[in-house]
Amino acid sequence: MLDQLGNGLLLGIIIAMASVALSLLYGVTRIVNFAHGEIIALGAICTLFFSNSPDSRYLYLDRFSPLGISFPASIALSLIACGLFGAFLELFLFKPLRKKEVGNIAVLVVTIGLSIFVRYAYLLFASEKVRSFPLDLERRQTYLFFDMTPRNFNVLIAGIVVMILVGLFLTYTKIGKAMRAVRDSGDLSSVSGINSDVIILVTWISSSMLAGLAGIFQGIINDVRWNMGFIILLLIFAGTVLGGIGTSFGAMVGGFIIGILVQVSVGLSFMEGHYEAKNAVALAIMIVILLFRPQGIFGTKERIS
Amino acid sequence: MKIDSKLIFAILLTSVSIYLVFVLNPEGPQRILFNLLTFAGIYGLSAIGLNIHFGWTGLLNFGHASFMGIGAYVTILLIPHAAGREGEVTSTGLPFILALIIGIIAAALFGLLLGLPAIRLRGDYLAIVTIAAAEIFRLLARDFESITGGVYGIISFSDALQKYRLSFIDNALENFDFSPAQAWVGLLSWVFIILTLLLLKRLNSSPWGRALRAVREDEDAVRALGKNAVWLKLQSFMLGAGIAGLAGVLLAFNYGSLETNLFIPLLTFYIWAIMILGGVGSLTGPIFGSIIFWAIISETDRVAALIFENANGQQLAGVRFVLVGILIMILMIFRPSGLLGKKEELLLDVK
Repeated sequence: MLDQLGNGLLLGIIIAMASVALSLLYGVTRIVNFAHGEIIALGAICTLFFSNSPDSRYLYLDRFSPLGISFPASIALSLIACGLFGAFLELFLFKPLRKKEVGNIAVLVVTIGLSIFVRYAYLLFASEKVRSFPLDLERRQTYLFFDMTPRNFNVLIAGIVVMILVGLFLTYTKIGKAMRAVRDSGDLSSVSGINSDVIILVTWISSSMLAGLAGIFQGIINDVRWNMGFIILLLIFAGTVLGGIGTSFGAMVGGFIIGILVQVSVGLSFMEGHYEAKNAVALAIMIVILLFRPQGIFGTKERIS
Repeated sequence: MKIDSKLIFAILLTSVSIYLVFVLNPEGPQRILFNLLTFAGIYGLSAIGLNIHFGWTGLLNFGHASFMGIGAYVTILLIPHAAGREGEVTSTGLPFILALIIGIIAAALFGLLLGLPAIRLRGDYLAIVTIAAAEIFRLLARDFESITGGVYGIISFSDALQKYRLSFIDNALENFDFSPAQAWVGLLSWVFIILTLLLLKRLNSSPWGRALRAVREDEDAVRALGKNAVWLKLQSFMLGAGIAGLAGVLLAFNYGSLETNLFIPLLTFYIWAIMILGGVGSLTGPIFGSIIFWAIISETDRVAALIFENANGQQLAGVRFVLVGILIMILMIFRPSGLLGKKEELLLDVK
């Protein structure tokens, strides 16, 4: 069981980051964003396109070559791309919908359409092949009581640092406070002079960048594929729900728990030979939580039925 | 009877899309048309089931694929079938009709199970729960290889349905390049659609149907009038799930093999697209939606092959999904009531 703990921590940090991003967006805009996975995949696919060697031509039906930029610069550019994509979605899709006062069920269905559209656009442009970043292979080492490669260990540390920074950003900066104010009460925050349109735009950008970073980490740890976001989307929902919808700290803890549970459950005896069913464990936990403690571990009680 | 302009428009659009199939395929349009009508029948039947959930009762069900899956698996496991790569044909000896009925009942019971969260949860949470439950079903089905054949699926079950095939189908298809087996499935799906619609037409105007729609409009009012809103929701879930189960059985027979991959969330989203296109809450809407939807789908591949010269098969299939995504978005933004739905009858905001 413990040999899976390292993998669990790595999956946990990815799901935790993505869950915080999803939860932030849901808290401020009340959008259940099924296209969240596609923003995650965007981060990884952009990094792939920026960083891989220009010798190969495999993007958009083998017509474009990757750019061959250095890896750190590629990550930075990809995060900017994700932020721009988030801003684009808000300005050209979700803001007009909000102004039209389209109901939230309609918006949910729109995000599902968006998710299918963007995901299969990736399939067209990035093809169905599984690819990886231009990074050297590394040997696993033992840290405390789990094994992972030095790079993955750095990813884990970087992820934890990012989560702390997000927490500090939400707690201490003016804009972070404004985001929480809009989340808690849109009307009251407007009365206090907070421009909710600007805050929602900032939320979209920061949420998309965080999700994109989670995708890049996923690409470093595992690989890049066109549907990588949709594969873990339900796990992200599970993490968000487990921690308590709309609470950032809860989403982080919930994401970690889900990631570790999914990986550790592989080592359980009754799961032997049922490797495929590991995601089912997380989804079952989510359903049970929604039914019996819908506010999650850290959420506050509000009317949800 | 008052002339309904929406209905005329829907019929016109359906005719145009069928006409386009003939124009775009000068060689062998019949084969493509038969294929289209078969898929349209099966998916349309499933969309009618979904319409009971969302259109009539306002339940946000995103696990529809699992109802189809349960119906298909239960029925086919009860009739002679072979599971896995080198599976032998096994059977329970039940007559086909009985197996079909048990399959539909199983789907309805799974609907009851999935309906239980609906008692407690608000719309968007219900959407997450249902899609997760459908994924659990699919993952477990894929995992229990001894029963479902795992990724290899179940085969050799078609005879159970095909032995009832009416001989006029074989005679009629003599001159066409189209499998009589598939035509039989297609014909059955349309027969079932007509039977289901006749049943639903009665239910729709019955006190029960009115109470169901009242649940969608104002649950508290339903309670105040002494109706059991919870039980109504569960009944709606069971009825729609049973219809979906029947569609799932037909889908399996149409492919001739049963794999868990058939029941990915995309299947649910297809059915949603058909329901929204046809008209949420409308009785006959899903039929028109389904035919138009499949006409678009079956022509996409040809158009895509023209645009993208060296795309592979999977990428060509990607084009149709891109279109499905755009279709769902545009319909939901600009015409959420679809072709035949009534805007005032549409639930777009959680209560």
